[in-house]
Amino acid sequence: MRRRPVALWAAAAAGYAFLYVPLIIVVVYSFNNSRLNAEWVGFTLDWYDKLFHNQEMLAAAGNSLIIALVTSLVSTVLGTMAGVAMYRHKMRLLSVLVLAPIAIPEILMGVSLLIFFVLLNFTLGLASVALAHIAFCIGFVAIVVRARLAGMDESLTEAARDCGATPWEAFRHVTLPLIMPGVIAGALMAFTLSIDDFVITFFTAGAGTVTLPLQIYSMIKIAVTPEVNAVSTLLMLLTLALIVVASRFTPSLLRSD
Amino acid sequence: MKRLALLLASLLVAIPAAAKDQLHLYNWNNYIAPETVKRFEDFCKCEVVQTYYSDNEELLAKLAAGAKGYDILVPTSNAVQALIKGGQLKPIDKAPLPNLKNIDPAYLNTAFDPGNKYSVPYAMSLTVIGYNDRKIKELGLPTDTWAVVFEPKYLEKIKGRVTVLDSSSELFAAALKYLGYSANDVDEAHWKQAADLIKKAKPYWAAFNASSYIKELTVGNIWLVHGYSNDIFQANLDAEAAKRPFHIVHGLPKEGAVLAVDNMVIHKDAPRPDLAHKFMNFMLEGKNSAELTNLIGSGNPNMDALQYIKPEIRKNPAIFPDKAMASKLEQLKDLTTAQRRVRNRMWTEIKAGR
Repeated sequence: MRRRPVALWAAAAAGYAFLYVPLIIVVVYSFNNSRLNAEWVGFTLDWYDKLFHNQEMLAAAGNSLIIALVTSLVSTVLGTMAGVAMYRHKMRLLSVLVLAPIAIPEILMGVSLLIFFVLLNFTLGLASVALAHIAFCIGFVAIVVRARLAGMDESLTEAARDCGATPWEAFRHVTLPLIMPGVIAGALMAFTLSIDDFVITFFTAGAGTVTLPLQIYSMIKIAVTPEVNAVSTLLMLLTLALIVVASRFTPSLLRSD
Repeated sequence: MKRLALLLASLLVAIPAAAKDQLHLYNWNNYIAPETVKRFEDFCKCEVVQTYYSDNEELLAKLAAGAKGYDILVPTSNAVQALIKGGQLKPIDKAPLPNLKNIDPAYLNTAFDPGNKYSVPYAMSLTVIGYNDRKIKELGLPTDTWAVVFEPKYLEKIKGRVTVLDSSSELFAAALKYLGYSANDVDEAHWKQAADLIKKAKPYWAAFNASSYIKELTVGNIWLVHGYSNDIFQANLDAEAAKRPFHIVHGLPKEGAVLAVDNMVIHKDAPRPDLAHKFMNFMLEGKNSAELTNLIGSGNPNMDALQYIKPEIRKNPAIFPDKAMASKLEQLKDLTTAQRRVRNRMWTEIKAGR
């Protein structure tokens, strides 16, 4: 291994500290025995106990999870298809269509989706939120998949076709395994984007549909209790677990290759 | 793929299938006592489904875009006016509301909704001074006047220990009141005076803060705030629970203050107006209404509720103002577009200036 200059290490350490220290503080303070949570008082598991008895918070977390799972599944399938099409066919209009939702300000997208759902007389609820999330996540998945395809040797697919594979077989057994890390990364991204989205969710959620971000935001007015830290900690654990699972399936995901 | 389609389909189907008797309440967070909800659910044999907003503007934006499915909303008076103008509300049927007689007539038939065609008062709060009793007593500062928020001769003793609400309407209202004008004064020259007053006081303030000042007061970092009466009540409860060596106390400015009344209204597309009326009448019952006051220290326009309210809350003049004070309270009216533009420009200058 080559030696790297100390300054570089220090800069990296500072960068990571900036990213992770706030998260660590959130986790540590979820064990704080103080409703105010302004200073460290003592260790307690009370907030987790309270959380598991808080029906509203649990329902919100459940909604968030359902929406995020459906969003990441559907947008990964559609986004992968879009990414492949964008790469293969070089259609300019397609790229614009797929990527526009990424560039559009969230608030605009939220309002226009709400107006759209109202026009269609579509009942607002979990389904409308999931559809809205899918709409903006497709673009993100497509970008990741297309980038992965750009780094792939096209002659492999051609070789498969030469050996008699149908286009679907060539895709299923050659292309897809090769772009799998990109697909998984896209799915994780869609999951994360969906689970913490506030603006679009706010507009497209119907009466009685509360997701975790909506629930937490509405609590800001009355001081936020460590229960929010506790639920955040659990979410972080879940996300970490997802990354670990994903890396099991595609070991190259966490390795630089 | 097939499994996926199935999952989606089940999701779409699952939602309407869950519809039994439900009342959809679009409310502020923590703005109804859990035991009240429970009792209403037993009473009407239905389920109360709550969704929350944290700002009147949020509610207005969402409804203006056409969202529906809500039965009851709890907007502040000026937002009620905007909703009436926007044709968003269903007129109330008074026959199923015998408990409306419990409301103090002073809070009925207001300019926002003449004859209470659309709204009934729910709860209220005052925008007042909140302070750390020990610190402010030590320094010998007055707490019955907006001067302590605006005058440099007082502020220099508590520099960096004061916060004001991050809301142009609330802060201008306080400044206008201090200058002897109405909180709803729309004379631009008076606004200019108020802006100058604010600019002169700003260097002494720690922040424009509308959310975390409760915590800052309780911890002891901030000694004096311009804030909502129920927030100050909450700060004191928190300070007591944390066994702080001080209390957070309300200061009522003798110049007058802003009164915010939140009202129950029924949305025009309410799926269950029958349950909505039942809920309104239920919440107008003194006992049920009192539970909210006991929980968060909000003011209560319900005369029948008084007997159920904890005496220490009932005696608090910032929560239940006396006649003399009540005459000096004003509810904020909406500004016209042109007025809002002028106000926004002044507010930007204030916030950007050093």
